[in-house]
Amino acid sequence: MKKVFFTLLLSFAFVFNATAQNVSVNGTVKSSVDGLPLIGVNIIVKNTSSGAVSDFDGNFTISNVQSGATLVFTYVGFETLELPVSSEMNVELVEDKESLDEVVLIGYGSKSRKDLTGSVSIVGSETIEKLRPVDVSQALQGTTTGVSVSTQSGSPGSGFRFLIRGVSSNTDNDPLLVVDGYIVSSFNSLNPDDIESLTVLKDAQAAIYGVEGANGVILVTTKKGKKNSAPTVSYNTYAGIQETTKKLSLLNASEYAALVNESYANNGQALPYDNIAGPAYGTNWQDKLFDQALMTNHNVSLSGGTDNVTYYLGATRLDQDGIIASDKSNYVRDNIKLNLGIDVNDRLKSTLNLNYFSNKRKTINESGLGSVLFNAISYSPMFALDQEDVNGIFGNEIINPFSQIRDTYNTYFGSSIEGNFQLEYKLRDDLTVTSRMGFKTYSDKSKSFSPIVNYGAGKVFNTSRSTVSQSKSQFDSYTWDTFATYKKSFAEKHNMEATVGTTVIKNWGNGLFATGFDVPNNSWEFADIALTTGTSDAKENGSYIYDNRLLSYFGRLQYDFKGKYLFSAMIRRDGSSAFAKDNRIDYFKSVTAGWKISDENFLKDNEVIDFLKIRGSYGTLGNLVGNDLYRSALSGEATYVFDGALTNGVANGPIANAAAKWETAEKLDIGVDAKFFGNKLEIVADYFLEDRVDLLIPGLPVSGILGTTAPGSGSPTVNAGTTRSEGLEFMINYSDNITDDLSYNVSYNVTKIEGTVIDVNAEVPLTGGSFGVGQPLPPSRMENGQPIGYFYGLQTDGIFQTQADVDAHPSQEGLGYGAVPGDIRYVDVNGDGEINSDDRTFIGKPLADYYMGFNFSVNYKSFDLSMYAFAEVGKDMVRNYERDQPNVNRLDYYLERWTGPGTSNSVPRATTGASTNKLFSDFYVEDASFVRIQNIQLGYSLPKETLEDFGLSKVRLYASVNNAFTFTEYKGFDPAATTGQALGGGIDSGFYPTVRQYILGLNISF
Amino acid sequence: MKNNKNIITAILVFTLVATGIYSCSDEYLDETDNYNIDSQGYFNSEDDYYMALVGVYDLLQASYVNVLLGEIASDNTLCGGESATDVVGFQQIDDMGHTPVNSNLRDVWSWMFSGISRANYFLEFKDKTDFEGRNKMIAEVRFLRAYYHFELVKWFGGLPIKDYDAALLGSGKRFAPGDELSIARYSAQEVYALIESDLVFAVNNLDYNAPQVGRVTKGAAEALLGKAYLYQDKFSEAATVLDNVINNGPYQLATSYETMFENEGENNVESVFEVQYTDAEGAGFGCLQCSEGNVAVGFNGIRNHTGPTYDSGYSFNVPTQETVDSFEDGDSRKEVSVLDIEAWAEQTGATYGLGYEHTGYYNRKYIPRQGDQNIGDQNLTNPNNYRSIRFADVLLMAAEANNRGSIDDAKAQSYLNMVRSRAFGGDSNNVSASGSELTDAIYHERHVELVGEGHRFFDLVRTGQAPSEIDGFQAGKHELFPIPIQEIQFSNGNWNQNPNY
Repeated sequence: MKKVFFTLLLSFAFVFNATAQNVSVNGTVKSSVDGLPLIGVNIIVKNTSSGAVSDFDGNFTISNVQSGATLVFTYVGFETLELPVSSEMNVELVEDKESLDEVVLIGYGSKSRKDLTGSVSIVGSETIEKLRPVDVSQALQGTTTGVSVSTQSGSPGSGFRFLIRGVSSNTDNDPLLVVDGYIVSSFNSLNPDDIESLTVLKDAQAAIYGVEGANGVILVTTKKGKKNSAPTVSYNTYAGIQETTKKLSLLNASEYAALVNESYANNGQALPYDNIAGPAYGTNWQDKLFDQALMTNHNVSLSGGTDNVTYYLGATRLDQDGIIASDKSNYVRDNIKLNLGIDVNDRLKSTLNLNYFSNKRKTINESGLGSVLFNAISYSPMFALDQEDVNGIFGNEIINPFSQIRDTYNTYFGSSIEGNFQLEYKLRDDLTVTSRMGFKTYSDKSKSFSPIVNYGAGKVFNTSRSTVSQSKSQFDSYTWDTFATYKKSFAEKHNMEATVGTTVIKNWGNGLFATGFDVPNNSWEFADIALTTGTSDAKENGSYIYDNRLLSYFGRLQYDFKGKYLFSAMIRRDGSSAFAKDNRIDYFKSVTAGWKISDENFLKDNEVIDFLKIRGSYGTLGNLVGNDLYRSALSGEATYVFDGALTNGVANGPIANAAAKWETAEKLDIGVDAKFFGNKLEIVADYFLEDRVDLLIPGLPVSGILGTTAPGSGSPTVNAGTTRSEGLEFMINYSDNITDDLSYNVSYNVTKIEGTVIDVNAEVPLTGGSFGVGQPLPPSRMENGQPIGYFYGLQTDGIFQTQADVDAHPSQEGLGYGAVPGDIRYVDVNGDGEINSDDRTFIGKPLADYYMGFNFSVNYKSFDLSMYAFAEVGKDMVRNYERDQPNVNRLDYYLERWTGPGTSNSVPRATTGASTNKLFSDFYVEDASFVRIQNIQLGYSLPKETLEDFGLSKVRLYASVNNAFTFTEYKGFDPAATTGQALGGGIDSGFYPTVRQYILGLNISF
Repeated sequence: MKNNKNIITAILVFTLVATGIYSCSDEYLDETDNYNIDSQGYFNSEDDYYMALVGVYDLLQASYVNVLLGEIASDNTLCGGESATDVVGFQQIDDMGHTPVNSNLRDVWSWMFSGISRANYFLEFKDKTDFEGRNKMIAEVRFLRAYYHFELVKWFGGLPIKDYDAALLGSGKRFAPGDELSIARYSAQEVYALIESDLVFAVNNLDYNAPQVGRVTKGAAEALLGKAYLYQDKFSEAATVLDNVINNGPYQLATSYETMFENEGENNVESVFEVQYTDAEGAGFGCLQCSEGNVAVGFNGIRNHTGPTYDSGYSFNVPTQETVDSFEDGDSRKEVSVLDIEAWAEQTGATYGLGYEHTGYYNRKYIPRQGDQNIGDQNLTNPNNYRSIRFADVLLMAAEANNRGSIDDAKAQSYLNMVRSRAFGGDSNNVSASGSELTDAIYHERHVELVGEGHRFFDLVRTGQAPSEIDGFQAGKHELFPIPIQEIQFSNGNWNQNPNY
């Protein structure tokens, strides 16, 4: 009907306007990138106010247009197009590469991604949403080159550590964490749902953070509302089942009994088990201990904006149970976030970011000797579930794990408010002043209760007097920044930006802890110091207080010529209260440069290369560790007994080092960024070299005559070492559309790092870590020319099969006992004809050679599928979770033990007697290289048409599996776990395994 | 108008920023809060000195290792423990197979030197503030310094000493990092000279009564001095000072040997110097030298014992049949010193476990008793005091000095018989020998009177009996223990290892 009317009108127009020559325009607007129609394109008749907007099919119609007029087509992200009017116009708009640019934070400012001259990696909210991590840190695992994320435990609420470009320091390798401009101490208060993007500054680009930047900087931007957008409400929820990723392969009951019998027999002792005939029976402790546990997460957010105000409000609750004893091990986290941006006028902008966080946690004894898992893997499979070790056949440190869980009572609650308030004032067009105040106040309280228990004679866990220990602590900090930015262009060729500013940081806090004795009714319900009736003569109460300050001034100059030749220089002066007056101030400087080759004339219109830039950076940064080392305090422990009562006195604490100062890093980075084939293929590659000088080495071994073993004392921490990390990073990313409905993206990244010790100023090589119980020689070393924290022990060469073999080999008496057939044969490394502790050598290292990440994602119509995986190759771990005790259970590799000549050349004989087989050697070092499929996700989004009927803008259902598979030869619970220490890292004393999660989730927006 | 407004705003903001930048000066970094006492600015009152004195006493409790190993190294006991690999350092010393790589010997070295360091810290500031009774405290500290040096010279021989000449005169200075490269080991003789000088001062400045139980007395100083003389075979000096204790000191033999080593017998009339312990504070394996309890007692305890009177322990330091057989018939000390666990089990129905090298006997003087608080780790927090010097020991040392120095055999006999008559409940077993026969009798008496108390190894070594009595003992080597290998490495050639290690 309408059409007829219009045609009639048109014909009338033709008749009546023959002289006026007005036309009606019909047309379609499409994108030149994919040929799809563009919806909502503004089409205006130039110099008039008439026009139209393209509809769902890209069609538009304008009537009464003067012939000879010009139509202007504008659309966000596309170049404006002006064309002379004609009655049929089928138009294609070209993408505006300039405005599609990402803007990246670089510390006290931002820059467009193409103009960066430092090594920077970015993880966006789409990746974070895909990975659905419980902790923000997990979003960086495998997604960014040069970053490795590790955890010490898979239990709920346990934190993560980052290492950016390897381990360099003995004291602190944690990078600086900055959220919306203010510095935080950990990411655990952040909710992944609130994060817009994560930016990692890896090289001297971070020098603007001076003394805090040596370990790299991770900048977080949280979600904010968008101007002029209608309020959007989102609800995201998921629920999942968790299970353990690994159970150790232990002996079953009859294998265990046979092994124990054999080990007693080999030492001439009576056999403990008479009757082991019959089918394998018994308790599989790991099966009984590991449960399937539930986790749920709910998130609601509201965001939107008007002309002058943007707002984002989000609330989330995460509830995660532990896979072991979920009633005693669980974690609940709540977050409420408010981001408010107000443009007071066209010169003054203000922003307010607030985050409320609270967490509640219960834990069981998790790792190492004395933990629940340790007891479970050591307890005999021939014991019943509720059987106690009353006769102490497992020694004094192993008890029934279920009894241990039953008697574990603790609770922890912490909450914080943090945020910042920022004012940005545009003094002139080229000069902006920003001032912001970030703050955090965190308080926590904890309680743990030890009831009266007796697990059998002599057990260390026995308690004869019940106690309840409570603590309360407070952490506060504020960060105040003020800086001015001046931006100017000269002669349209020279662009300059200068930033000058100051930062003041104060961290202070206090803590109080106390223990009460004799809890009424020996019950958790009455466990509070208020109700306890007893005290002890010993000093059971304590407190601490600390106050650290940092004062800095910084300046940065950025210059580019025609946007092609880029250059920047930074300098920062830091002063810290942690050191003596003479060693408090230092300057950190850096320069970076870049050349956008693709902007040069010879590459400008290249078909293949869309973007090519080379860049380099060099600078110095600091690592702020070493608090109060210069004070020689009477902080030692002095207690004796006079008149039958405990008497406390004073004594010296650790020996002071008045010359202590912070560690410095010198960083060099050269990199290439390139995009090809219409931005489908992206490659980023970096070479980096980093020297850490003046490493603070704590616990430097010193002579006993200095009195450092006195209670509460210790050796001085000295700036005594230098390490070097050198490596390559490579990232390749390809995304393409096969058809209109099918698109995919593949990405691979690999980082190769070599970390060696260049210099250690100590008379004996530094040692650390511990292996076994009561073994005097530590397993880890820091030594010139070797990898950091490498393992130093005996090298093995098979097993002695016969006495003739033993006689033909140099004597092993120097190790404490002579060898017999069935014992491990050690290599005479120094060739002196004797095997003793001088024959120890390099037998492995804890840091991987290669870190890799791999992901692909596919979108087909309404479905999306993605997979993320990461790998570490070339790392070793020490198997230190086996208890050296005659009656404990063992791993099943003992089935391959030597029982006679020719039976085994890899596992020594089983015996309860003394032998040299328990000394630290490569028998205990395993290759822990692994590939882990971190996330597989399949999602389905309801099509737009269906959604419109309900007024929704997005509904997506998804199913995902986290930590689906781990491919490794390592026998322990988790090849990715580590304490993260430089000296002593990579030693597995029993890590709580990572969890596998099967998740179903829903995202709704309206 | 608008321009003016802009300019004013600009000036305002600039001033704000400028004041912001200049108001924070480096003094801001000085104001930090802290609750710490600076060690160089201490010793301003009597109270300060007392608190530091407590710190010097603290390391006495760490000497439990010395006691434990003094028995294990001798022919009195076998190492024991859970298995052949339980505390490798102990096992090797038992078999005389120890090497410079031994963490327990390193503990002895480090802990005793820590005690010396704390004593020297006190003596560094001994002249700073004057108060009444300062000399007495200084005397206590010098006694303790001598005690620690005596332990070290017994174990290792010659030692490094800081500012030796000033130390002889009573000054003290802690070692500084780097001293291990420059200060050589003084000879054992020179170390003894320092010990004597410290103890002579202590003797002259202390009373027989101490202000608190557990603190050093004149008698303790005299007894230790006599012991130091005896170890150097300086018989007449030893005899003189030990006779003085016997005649003028308030000490006597306790009437009941039975209760001597029980809780009620602590700090009794026979106790000349006793290292104090308590069960009131917890302890852990991470810092054994921090424990306020007697760690050796837990180590000596009966394995997995359930029954009356005794608690459990780690079954180390188990007496041999030989030791049990060396008691004569009618000697009441046998039942008190050695616990026959099989007989005990039969008698009371108690049960026990079998440890490594199980002999059926336990060191009854120093095993855990029931009734203490058992605060975790209960094996490390036993309250049994260590009777470092008993009057019986003083009598036997005096007897030996008088006899071997050919000073007065009759006096030696009478001292010896005082000990014997207490042991046998009468004079019927008294000894009437003299000369070398008397010497042997005294040696035998020391063996049975002091079994389990950590003196046997050093008695055998100083009297030349070690090669014949101890299996695997090599003369010319095992009289001294090796300096820990880490110390030799730190000294970078400055210190030589003891011979034949």
